[in-house]
Amino acid sequence: MRTNNEYGIGLKPIFDTVIFEIKKQRKKFYFFLGVAILVVFLVGYLLQLFPSYLLPDTQAEYFSDGLTFIEFLTLFSACLFFSGIICSEFDKKTGAIVFPKINKYKLILGKYLGNLILVVFILAVYYFLLGLLGFFYYGGPINIRIFYSFGFAVLYAITLSSFVTLFSSFMKSVNVTIISTLLILLIGFNIADQIINLIFADSFEPLYSILYLGGLIASVLQNPFPDPRYAEIDLPGGMGGGFSFGQWITPTIEMGIILLLVYIFVFFILAAILFKRRQL
Amino acid sequence: MSEIVIKLENLTKRFGNFTAVDNIALEVCRGETIGLVGPNGAGKTTTIKMIAKILRPNSGRILIRTNHSELQDLQHVSSTISQMGFLIDIPNFYNMTAFQLLKYFAKIQKYPKDKTAARINELLMRFKLTEWKHEKVKNFSKGMTQKLGIIQAIIHDPDIIILDEPQTGLDPLARIEIRKYIRDLQSQGKTIFVASHMLYEISEVCDKIALINYGKIVGFDTVENLAKSLKINVLNCILLKPLNTSDLGLLLNRLSEKLNPYLDQNLDPEISKIPVRYKPEKLELKLYYDGKNESRGEILKTLIKEFESDFTVVAFTQPKTSQLEMVYSQMVKNNEPEGKRKLNGDVF
Repeated sequence: MRTNNEYGIGLKPIFDTVIFEIKKQRKKFYFFLGVAILVVFLVGYLLQLFPSYLLPDTQAEYFSDGLTFIEFLTLFSACLFFSGIICSEFDKKTGAIVFPKINKYKLILGKYLGNLILVVFILAVYYFLLGLLGFFYYGGPINIRIFYSFGFAVLYAITLSSFVTLFSSFMKSVNVTIISTLLILLIGFNIADQIINLIFADSFEPLYSILYLGGLIASVLQNPFPDPRYAEIDLPGGMGGGFSFGQWITPTIEMGIILLLVYIFVFFILAAILFKRRQL
Repeated sequence: MSEIVIKLENLTKRFGNFTAVDNIALEVCRGETIGLVGPNGAGKTTTIKMIAKILRPNSGRILIRTNHSELQDLQHVSSTISQMGFLIDIPNFYNMTAFQLLKYFAKIQKYPKDKTAARINELLMRFKLTEWKHEKVKNFSKGMTQKLGIIQAIIHDPDIIILDEPQTGLDPLARIEIRKYIRDLQSQGKTIFVASHMLYEISEVCDKIALINYGKIVGFDTVENLAKSLKINVLNCILLKPLNTSDLGLLLNRLSEKLNPYLDQNLDPEISKIPVRYKPEKLELKLYYDGKNESRGEILKTLIKEFESDFTVVAFTQPKTSQLEMVYSQMVKNNEPEGKRKLNGDVF
């Protein structure tokens, strides 16, 4: 039987890799942190200075407005931080140096955790600054739903990271991984959502879409929670002829959590299988 | 006999229809320095990658002895083997400073934390990289990156060191340094496995040579024994002054006559048509002899006594490198696949 000390020794290379990875990704981290601070400042503070802009009635609505860009920030940071997690070892051949030194699963786990810590920290700074501004405008106490929203943002980041890690496990180069995951997440899922909406309307909820599940980050702030979750939106058109289209607004909280967890599990298992088969 | 630390048993690696390593078998004993010599694409790096568990063999197995235990199948060794250090191919590093990289590599290979900084400093100084300690590797030249590659392989002071083309990209002085360092490691009782196509480097440091071609080991022994098996034994006599060309033919005939009992009587005409050759550009006499130690002494005596008035011998050596070159080219030629040999025959 292994002792606690032996388990500690087994985990130490992972911990060492986490620290090393954090140092390695320092520049990228500073860049995204700067972007996050800038976005909060623009959306949460600068916008309020325009006389024509009316401050939302409630703190929750203010947070909801302030979180408009969090999904994009999470998506871009996930694609850029996690794209090289596996394929860079093969693409840049750094694996020939590190694979003989450390169990390769421990290496990838350490790299993953290091990057996840950085992404979660960026999100935490974003939420912290938004919370601070919310307190500044509306006073205390802080609406507890912002913490739920943060929880969903972290879960969403983990799902995106697992999706990008899966791509990284079979893609040849880091750049191709970044481009392909960004295209699929930003354009692919949106096009699929529109087509599904046009064909099935309210009879088919796009639960396959990670982006749709990510909508919970903002909708969890709404009180009461949107019901019905499918809405017909009327758009006025020229020459007196308007048109309307239906759209799913958000999944249920329970369904969202379950599906995000299932995706994480499936993507990581697939990534591990592909990584095991891959040879340098 | 010292214990076997690495044993390759019928190891085969295929990439699609191409067989990179074909059923090779090799044993490396503790404290030995083995050279794996072969042309580009012969299967050297593939073999090393399989030992490093970066590639999975299609068949055969690799047995490793760690900590004087029983030989273990590498596939069943759960994690990495910290007693081994690898330099594989041209090293590519994460873009960090040399110190950060080496510290990380020492840490994950469980080198004592309190000794790490001293070890890094010692190795950087040895390889003349101290001033580059806190520079990012992207600023390193090819040679410096190669040196760092060697350092990372030995940073945790492993018992078995496996180096793939360690001399690549190094200037002559750095090559001498590396050779010296390999000899130091030998004197510490380390087991060293060096793959290279640079015959001189290999012949200078290795106890035994494994010749690999088209994925097959075509010879594995000391340079001398390999030479004996192919009947390639050559002596180089460096002369003080050039020989008089007017009676060169007569002199060479006299040399062949006097040295005849000691010269190779069955010399392969592909190696040389005559057992005594003169190379005026090098002031060198090349003598193909029977390979016996006694013959070497007799040849030297004869050259000094009998030819005193004709020339003065200033150096008398059995050059390992040229011998290895000949062994190498001969073995490679002998073991070329049928189709390839035919093609070569057509060309030449």
